[in-house]
Amino acid sequence: MKQLCTAGVLLIASAGAIPVATVCGWQTADTEPTDLAAGLALTPRAFRAATARIDPCLITIESFGGSSTTRGQIGGIRLRGEGNTTGVMISPDGLAITSSFNFIDQPSAITVLTRDGQRRVANVLGRDDTRRICLLQVEGVENMPVPEMVPVDEVEVGQWAVSVGVGYGDSQPAISMGIISARGRIGGRAIQTDANISPANYGGPLVDIEGRMIGICVPMSADSQDLGSGVQWYDSGIGFAIPLHGADELIQRMSEGKHIQRAFLGIQSENAEESEGTRITAVVPGSAAAAAGLKSGDVLRKLDDHELPNVAELREVLTEYYAGDEITLVFRREDQEETVQITLGAPIRPDSEDTPGRLPGRRRRPSGDGG
Amino acid sequence: MKPVVPGCHSIERPRSRGGVVLAFLLTGLVGVPAPAQVTMNDAFQQAIHEGQARMVKVYGATAGRVDGYASGVIVSPDGLIVSMQGVYLDGQNTRVTLADGTRWPATVLRRDRARQLALLKIEHQTPDYFELSETPVGQQGDWVVTLSNAFKVADGEEPMSVNLGIISLRTTIRARLGPRDIAYEGPLLLIDAITSNPGAGGGAVLTRDGRLAGTIGRVINSSDTNTRLNYAVPADLLQQFVENTLPPVTTENSVVGGEPGELGIRVFRLGGRRAPAYIDRIIPDSPAGQAGLRPDDLVISMAGQKIGTIREYDEASSGVLAGQEVIVVVKRGNRLVRVPLTPLPRKVP
Repeated sequence: MKQLCTAGVLLIASAGAIPVATVCGWQTADTEPTDLAAGLALTPRAFRAATARIDPCLITIESFGGSSTTRGQIGGIRLRGEGNTTGVMISPDGLAITSSFNFIDQPSAITVLTRDGQRRVANVLGRDDTRRICLLQVEGVENMPVPEMVPVDEVEVGQWAVSVGVGYGDSQPAISMGIISARGRIGGRAIQTDANISPANYGGPLVDIEGRMIGICVPMSADSQDLGSGVQWYDSGIGFAIPLHGADELIQRMSEGKHIQRAFLGIQSENAEESEGTRITAVVPGSAAAAAGLKSGDVLRKLDDHELPNVAELREVLTEYYAGDEITLVFRREDQEETVQITLGAPIRPDSEDTPGRLPGRRRRPSGDGG
Repeated sequence: MKPVVPGCHSIERPRSRGGVVLAFLLTGLVGVPAPAQVTMNDAFQQAIHEGQARMVKVYGATAGRVDGYASGVIVSPDGLIVSMQGVYLDGQNTRVTLADGTRWPATVLRRDRARQLALLKIEHQTPDYFELSETPVGQQGDWVVTLSNAFKVADGEEPMSVNLGIISLRTTIRARLGPRDIAYEGPLLLIDAITSNPGAGGGAVLTRDGRLAGTIGRVINSSDTNTRLNYAVPADLLQQFVENTLPPVTTENSVVGGEPGELGIRVFRLGGRRAPAYIDRIIPDSPAGQAGLRPDDLVISMAGQKIGTIREYDEASSGVLAGQEVIVVVKRGNRLVRVPLTPLPRKVP
């Protein structure tokens, strides 16, 4: 069976004329790149083969308890479903990646089912809020299969993509096909696809036509950092996946229990005259900017090696940093150019997810879920 | 016209070195082939073209927020139509518009509420109808095109709206929907084309060779994912529905005879019914006590069913029978402990 599938993949992937006299027991003459119909006919086999290849690396995540004891809204839909969610093994000794959206309820216990049907306890080691992923340690496993990962620079807009997830509850994963829509989205962290991405496959893999992992499916929004934002676009043709190829350092940090958050400088600003910089209009008390002594009226000129001609540029540059990163900021105060070292902070949220009973991004509505 | 080889698609394409007709024996590729001709430039046109002639728009009663329209497929030469069940069929004035724009009064012959299907009849002979199938049509990954009148976009003789997708999974929805929101029961085809929209119900899901894989189901949410499901009622079920041989829906959790059993577990209830089932105390000398279960153990599974909440624990524990062993799995620290418990007869207070 596997050989047949591989043959199908080859046929689609190859641009040259291939004689396919006896592939899969069906007969044909030579095919050429223009053989659209033949390619289309073979693609379902390739989808199945890709699914079969990633399948052993999938885990089904079961959550127990959490803070969703009341109903509410998150990202435009009700809180996440009651079912299981998807994850992917990434190390033979039990490290697994999933979307932190799957733990938005902050469950008090997590178990996972590996593809051999065994149930294990799992613990969250660390998470990266800027990518909406988290790292799990699945206890008591060894020799787990792990996916082959596609280097980001080999991912091309227009290539096939298949999203895979077990969120619908069946022992077999559900799949959705599409293409890669864009690279380098959301601060360069995400790959965009038009394959269906939803709670049915958040945490699951987005794979290429050969079953190699392109990334981990997550909800994402360019406008909001809230954990549930982006869910409202589920199955919309706008979906995101986080590539993990070469992300060893990131995984290492999460495995040490790090909680990676976006950088928060703590200023409000406006464009200064003639693009000479970004003028601070307010400093958030208790923020990194306040600690560094920045004041309203200061004009920011440079962040490390990045020029800051306007507010948009500052915002763009900051997306490349994380909370805890050290930066050097050059600014002008009353015609004096000054330099300051700043340790970037994490966003200050009144409704922090650490506050009992409140969830990030949750908006309470007077009644019901509106259908 | 070139001859159609039985069991084959004949595939024609323009070539620089003489026009050669290729015959692809697609039997092993897409399952049972249909006697349709596919040209080399044909992606999905043939299936869509043939399918459009077999589609109908169904109009019924509008009641409040309920849409008064749906899609339907013709399944016999004498005017049998499968569509979506709904209150829009409750009125006396159900009408059907065929692909040629002609309008016909329809009689509702039969409804199946478990599968959300309706069988309609118009007094009209037509050569354009879908063959139903006794066996499932299509498998995971197969291309499908959907034809439906979602949002009532098409009017009169306008053709249905068409979407492209694949079959995501053939599955059973019983596990997909919680006990509170069962709107459909039975096997179904999940697809990744977006069809979960008003008016699309009863529309056709066709494989690339034009066979009817199923009809689009009504709009429902999955409890598991809290998302709308895009799915089709499979063709083999449709066949049974039309022949009136659908098996009755069996209800789960029907307690078979026996005396209620007691495990000796008391769970921590202060967190509400959606809280996880942590053990608060164990009745001494009970089956749970003798098996070594302890306070603070978290019950995660009973008799093979996941226990995610107190509510699920209550449902499962109320069904255990005295003397009939049940496997209980608890999480204790980083370990899972699996114990067989034989319930004692429940004491009457």
